[in-house]
Amino acid sequence: MALENLRAYKVCYLLPMPILQPSSSVSSLPRISCVVTRKWRCWRMGQSQPTHTRKKNSMQLPRAAAAAVDIEPQNASTSNSNVLLEVKGLTAVVTESRQEILKGIDLIIHQGEVHAIMGKNGSGKSTFSKVLVGHPDYEVTGGTVIFKGENLLDKEPEVRCHSGLFMSFQSPVEIPGVSNMDFLRMACNARRSTLGLTELGPLEFYGFLSPKLAMLNMDPKFLDRNVNEGFSGGEKKRNEILQLAVLEADLAILDEIDSGLDVDALQDVAKAVNGLLTTKNAVLMITHYQRLLDSIKPTYVHIMENGRIVKTGNASLAKQLEEGGYRAIADV
Amino acid sequence: MASSSLQQWKCNPLLLTQPSLTHHSGRRRVGNAIVALGDPFVLELAEKLEESASSNNLKNKSLHRLRETCTEEVFRRPWPSAKDESFRFTDIKFLKQSKIQVSEPLNSPLDLQGLENGRPGAYTILLIDGLLSTSHSHTAGLPHGVFVGSLSSLPDDYVLPPLEAADGGDLFSSLNGIGSRDLGVVIVPEGCKLERPLHVVYYSQQGGDDLQSLCVSNPRLVVVLGKGAEMEIVEEFRGAANKSYWTNSVLHVSLEEKAQLCHSFVQLQNPCAVHMKWTFVQQGTLSSYKLVETSSGGRLSRHNLQIQQLGPDTVTEVSTFHLAGENQTQDLHSKIILNHPRGYSRQLHKCIVTHSSAHAVFDGNVKVNRHAQLTDAGQLSRSLLLAPRATVNVKPNLQIVADDVKCSHGAAISDLEEDQLFYFQARGVDAKTARNALVFSFGAEVMERFPDKYLRNKVENDVKSLLAAAGAIR
Repeated sequence: MALENLRAYKVCYLLPMPILQPSSSVSSLPRISCVVTRKWRCWRMGQSQPTHTRKKNSMQLPRAAAAAVDIEPQNASTSNSNVLLEVKGLTAVVTESRQEILKGIDLIIHQGEVHAIMGKNGSGKSTFSKVLVGHPDYEVTGGTVIFKGENLLDKEPEVRCHSGLFMSFQSPVEIPGVSNMDFLRMACNARRSTLGLTELGPLEFYGFLSPKLAMLNMDPKFLDRNVNEGFSGGEKKRNEILQLAVLEADLAILDEIDSGLDVDALQDVAKAVNGLLTTKNAVLMITHYQRLLDSIKPTYVHIMENGRIVKTGNASLAKQLEEGGYRAIADV
Repeated sequence: MASSSLQQWKCNPLLLTQPSLTHHSGRRRVGNAIVALGDPFVLELAEKLEESASSNNLKNKSLHRLRETCTEEVFRRPWPSAKDESFRFTDIKFLKQSKIQVSEPLNSPLDLQGLENGRPGAYTILLIDGLLSTSHSHTAGLPHGVFVGSLSSLPDDYVLPPLEAADGGDLFSSLNGIGSRDLGVVIVPEGCKLERPLHVVYYSQQGGDDLQSLCVSNPRLVVVLGKGAEMEIVEEFRGAANKSYWTNSVLHVSLEEKAQLCHSFVQLQNPCAVHMKWTFVQQGTLSSYKLVETSSGGRLSRHNLQIQQLGPDTVTEVSTFHLAGENQTQDLHSKIILNHPRGYSRQLHKCIVTHSSAHAVFDGNVKVNRHAQLTDAGQLSRSLLLAPRATVNVKPNLQIVADDVKCSHGAAISDLEEDQLFYFQARGVDAKTARNALVFSFGAEVMERFPDKYLRNKVENDVKSLLAAAGAIR
């Protein structure tokens, strides 16, 4: 047990971490215009893509993808008033390695719709959801994202949240030292103050929270614990949905909300999500399994592959997938 | 007697090698003793302390033995330098260059700004410059058999464990022993459970007016919990504002079988102060010791914590939070020694360094010896550096001899975690507020372990204002 083996570390901290800043490439992106729409239409017909968004990928879409997009039932024009989210030609890279993950995503979500994205591991599903909420690990290199008529990409993550976008994390991070109650209240009040509403005190907030806890079958003791610290997989997911309920988001992106949940917990979560759904909001789910889609009925199912949505259909697409795997879909 | 021998040895250095040799064979120690002798600063200080302590005329065997042993120790303990492993990263050179006075008992009334009230609903004792002040202590209503007071007022039928027996210690614990005028004593007899906590306030009243002149006090407290006894003790260190003082304190804790002690320790010394503390804990079979510490004051603050297992199935939980700001050094040297089977220990050390001139040190040793089979020991150290060139030195170390144990350790030094920041932002909380919440929560993870809500709130507010003053929370 020689002490000499024990190492001492001296670390001099050189520079503080930079606070998240919007990427310059993001802010310089052109706002959506009819010109872009026209270019978009060209691209959909199988012609080369607009150069300003797809510099690296000038190749054409695979035939299956093109066919799938052609039958896409959501051809609503950008002027449609009930469009919540409109993603066009979105490309993104990993900030550090510059590896391209998203290679041109197109998606339109209207109010009242439930969309599901399925796809193999590594196809870019989670990256897509993280890019939408502004995760600093990824950098958008092209395309546009319009949320409720405004450019989403030039907004800070917290502003995206205030504007009504919510993402439930696949593996939520633990925050020791911050109680769940304080965290939820902080989040709720941050949103309320941007909406010009008065902030809620601890007691008022508890009153606001109680019915939401009940909806998720959650023990109020849960609020005294630190955020996600020592939570089971199921508790973490319930906590994410509780946050969604508190923030009353217009578009909820649920990234694998079904992973790690037992049957009962899945029902609780699904019930809560269904309870939150109205004709004014929408849900985008990322999942691997049909099971979740039995509980939360999707309007559209998208299949993602290699950074693109290659196929769009209705709930039956997920059933085909469940039965025959991704090969069965590719053959269609 | 002891005083005269000290002077004699000082005059004739060669003489000292003789007693050192007889007590301790080994060249190094003899060598050290010679080095110590060659250090007039240590001897002068020891002499001052001895003179001042002997003026007390307290005839007590325990105290007498303690002073004698410590006097012997001082000769073989040189002034620590950066070459000594335990002071490798902690610079105490400035102490040697300071003019050090020994605090004297004061009879004048003090304005303690309500400090003696401690906290509501608690028994309180106040030690002013190391001496227990009965007029400021509130111990009425203690259960029968419980003693809280000074050694000089301890009835003869109480037996104290030998104070000098604890292994370990360094020059400063020895100096404390020499300079101990009287001791604070807490004895909770077998089976007794104290419902209310005991709040011990250490207040340093005397001090120099500039940083170079320090006034040293040597408080020493002995806590003995009998079989199955339970209590909660809060130690709070404070001092007069703008005074330059050195609190050199020692705490002995002895836990007998199945005894349980919750120990909260809050160090809020003023920024000119030097704070040194030794905590010796001995844990009997099935006993439990839980320490929660927050240390944020002083220009130099060092806590030496030594926990020793005397029997199997002990539970030890140590949570410490250090906050180092401008020109501050915060140091924790901990040692958990497990000699018996089925011991359980958890250690969490966190520190925040907020300024480029600030420095934090952590040396955490967990020793799992041969007979300590089925030990479950975990240690985690996390440091947060918030300024360029802020420094932390950490040395987490486990020494495991037993072969059937579960041990873990980890150390992380970083800025705030990006994932946590993003989690806040994704929920609508802006980066600045998120940063503030995360910086505070970093320490709150330890502070929320204070068993008492009143203390927790008080400490959290203190830490919040210190962080805000340091610009770590905006």
